Amino acid sequence: MKSRLFSLVIYLAATISGLMVLLYPFFLPAISVRSGFSSFRAGEMPALMTLLLGLCLLVLLYEAQGQVMNTKLIALLGVLVAINSALRFIETALPGPGGFTPIFFLIILVGYVFGGRVGFLMGALTLLVSGLVTGGVGPWLPGQMFTAGWVGMSAALLKHIFKHGRSKRTTKKQSAISLEIILLASFGFFWGFLYGGLMNLWQWPFIIGPQAQSWTAGLSFVDTLQRYLAFYLVTSLVWDAIAAFGNVLLILAFGAPTLQALRRFQNRFTFKYSPDQISAVSEITKGSAG
Amino acid sequence: MRQPWAWILWLIAVMVVLTVTRNPFYLLIGLGCIFFVELILQKTGKGMQRLFSPWKLTALIILLATIFNVLTSHYGGTVLFTIPGKLPLVSGNVTLEAIVYGGINGMILAGILMSFTVLNLALPVRDLISLIPRAFFPVAVVTSIAVTYLPTTMRQFYKIREAQSIRGHQMHTLRDWLPLLMPLLVGGLEHAMQLAEAMTARGFASSKPQAGGNQAYPRILMLLGVMVLASGWLIQLVSESWKGWLLILFGAGLVLLGLWLTGNNASRTIYRRGRWNWEDAVGIVGALVVISLSFLHVPGMGNETLFYDPYPLLGLPPFNPILGAAMMSLLIPGLLALKSFNPHNL
Repeated sequence: MKSRLFSLVIYLAATISGLMVLLYPFFLPAISVRSGFSSFRAGEMPALMTLLLGLCLLVLLYEAQGQVMNTKLIALLGVLVAINSALRFIETALPGPGGFTPIFFLIILVGYVFGGRVGFLMGALTLLVSGLVTGGVGPWLPGQMFTAGWVGMSAALLKHIFKHGRSKRTTKKQSAISLEIILLASFGFFWGFLYGGLMNLWQWPFIIGPQAQSWTAGLSFVDTLQRYLAFYLVTSLVWDAIAAFGNVLLILAFGAPTLQALRRFQNRFTFKYSPDQISAVSEITKGSAG
Repeated sequence: MRQPWAWILWLIAVMVVLTVTRNPFYLLIGLGCIFFVELILQKTGKGMQRLFSPWKLTALIILLATIFNVLTSHYGGTVLFTIPGKLPLVSGNVTLEAIVYGGINGMILAGILMSFTVLNLALPVRDLISLIPRAFFPVAVVTSIAVTYLPTTMRQFYKIREAQSIRGHQMHTLRDWLPLLMPLLVGGLEHAMQLAEAMTARGFASSKPQAGGNQAYPRILMLLGVMVLASGWLIQLVSESWKGWLLILFGAGLVLLGLWLTGNNASRTIYRRGRWNWEDAVGIVGALVVISLSFLHVPGMGNETLFYDPYPLLGLPPFNPILGAAMMSLLIPGLLALKSFNPHNL
C-alpha cells in the first residue's frame, strides 16, 4: 500500500512538473511584468523546456518500468511496440489524410486492458522505437513520449467505469459496438485534440518569437490562452480533427475484436507461479488426508 | 568518428549554436557545417540512403516558416503592405522584419531537423539503443525486442495480406483491414509468449530484479529531484536569477544520482567494447570549443555578436570572423569521415 502511494506521489510530481514546463507560455507574460522582465527569452526556453521535460520523462519511465517488469510483460511490450511501430510505418508509407495516425488506438486499448503502467510504457516506447527506426529522433521526442505515455496511462482510468471490464452484451459478432467501445472511441476523440494541443505548446513560443501578437508582456493567463487558441485554430485544428476522427473510426472498427484478443492473452501474461503457495496447499491436503 | 558519445557531443554543440544565436551569419555557418557532414556521410557510404533532398527540405521549411511568421506577426518598422479585414491572426501589416525573423526561424528549424538526420545517418540503431542508461535496462530490452521484431512484423503483414487476397478477400473499406490486423496481433502475442519462455529458459531475470523501481533510495532522490527542478523552473521564470539555475542543476543532479545508483546494481555484459581513438578525441574537442565559445565571454571572440534581433527596425547583423571560424569546428566529423574514406571499399 505504501509503495503504491509512493508511486502515485512520484507520478503526480513528475507529471505536474512536466505540465508546468509545457504550460509556461501561459503564465510567463503575467509573471514577467510583475518581475520587471519584458523578454520572452524565446531563445533559451525551448531548449530548457526540452531538457526539463526529458528529466520528468525519465522519472516517469523509471517508475513505470520498475513495478511492471517481468519476462512475460517485457516480451509482450516488445512485440506490441513493434506492431504499433509497424502501423506508424504504414501510416507514413500510405498516402492518407494529414494528421491521421493509427498508433493511438492500440496504445489506448493496451492501457485499458493491461493497466496504466503498461499503457504508459506502450505509448512512450512506441514513439521512441518508431522515431529510432524512421530517423525521427529530435528534440520533440521527449514531449511526444511524455504525452503519448499519458494517453496510455489515462486509458486505465476508464476501467473504473467498467469495473468488470466486460460489456454485458454477448458478442456473437466480433465487431459489435458496445457502450464500452463508444466510451473508448470518445476517449480517443478527446485525446486526438489534446495530444495535438500539447505538442503545439513545445513549438508555439519558439516559432512565434518575442515580438509577435501571440505574446505580449503583461497579458493575463486568459488573454494568452485566447491567443494560443487563435494560433491553434489557424494552424492545427484541421490536422488534429483528422487525428481525432481517425482514432474514433479505428476504435469503432477494430476495438471489440482487439479487446477480445488482448483480454484472452492478459490472463496468460499476468499468470504468476508461486511455489510457496503450492507447498502450503500440499501441506493442507496431506493434513486433511491423514 | 565512431563513438556514439562523440556524435552526441557534436549534436549538443550544434543545438547550442542553433539555440543561443539568431544571427543569420552564424546560423548560415552552422547550417553549412551540418550540410557538409551530411553530404560526406552520404558520399562515403557511411550513412543510409537519403530519403529526401536536404536542400529542398531546408528551402521548404524556411519558406513555410517565413510565410507563417509574415501572416501571424505584424510588428516591425518597415511596412511592405497591409492585409485588410478582421481575420484572426492574419490581418494587419506585413513587415520586412517579420520576413527576416521568419526566415531565421526556418533556418533554426531546418538546422535542428538536419542535425538529427545526421545523427541517424552516422549511428546505427544498435548504437543509439546502447546509449540507454543501465537504470533503464527493462526499457532497453523492450526497445531491442521491438527494433528486432519490427522487420518480422512487416514481413508477417505482407504474408497475411497475400494469404487473404488468395482467399478472395478484397480491401474496400476500413473494416476490410480487420482480417489483416487480427492475425498480425494474435500471431504477435503468441510470439511474445514463446519469446518470454525462451528468455526465462535462458535465465533472464532469474534473480530478484535489481534495476527498476523497487529500490527506495533512488526513488526518494528522484522525487526530491523533480520537486527541486520544478521550484528552480518557477524561480527562473519569475526572476531569471542564478538561484533558479542552481536549483535546476541541483534537481537534475538528484534525478541523475538516483538513476546512477540504480544503474550500479544492474549487471551488464558487453559483447564488443567500442574503442576510443584520436578521431573521437578531436571531434569532442571541436564540439567543446563551440560550446564554450557560445557561453563564455572570451576577450576578442566577440560572442556578443551572437545576439541579433531584427525587431523593431531591421539592421545589418554583426559578425566576428574569428568566432565564425571557430564555429567551423562543427565540420570536423565530416573532415574525419573524408580522411578515412577509401573508394575501394565501396
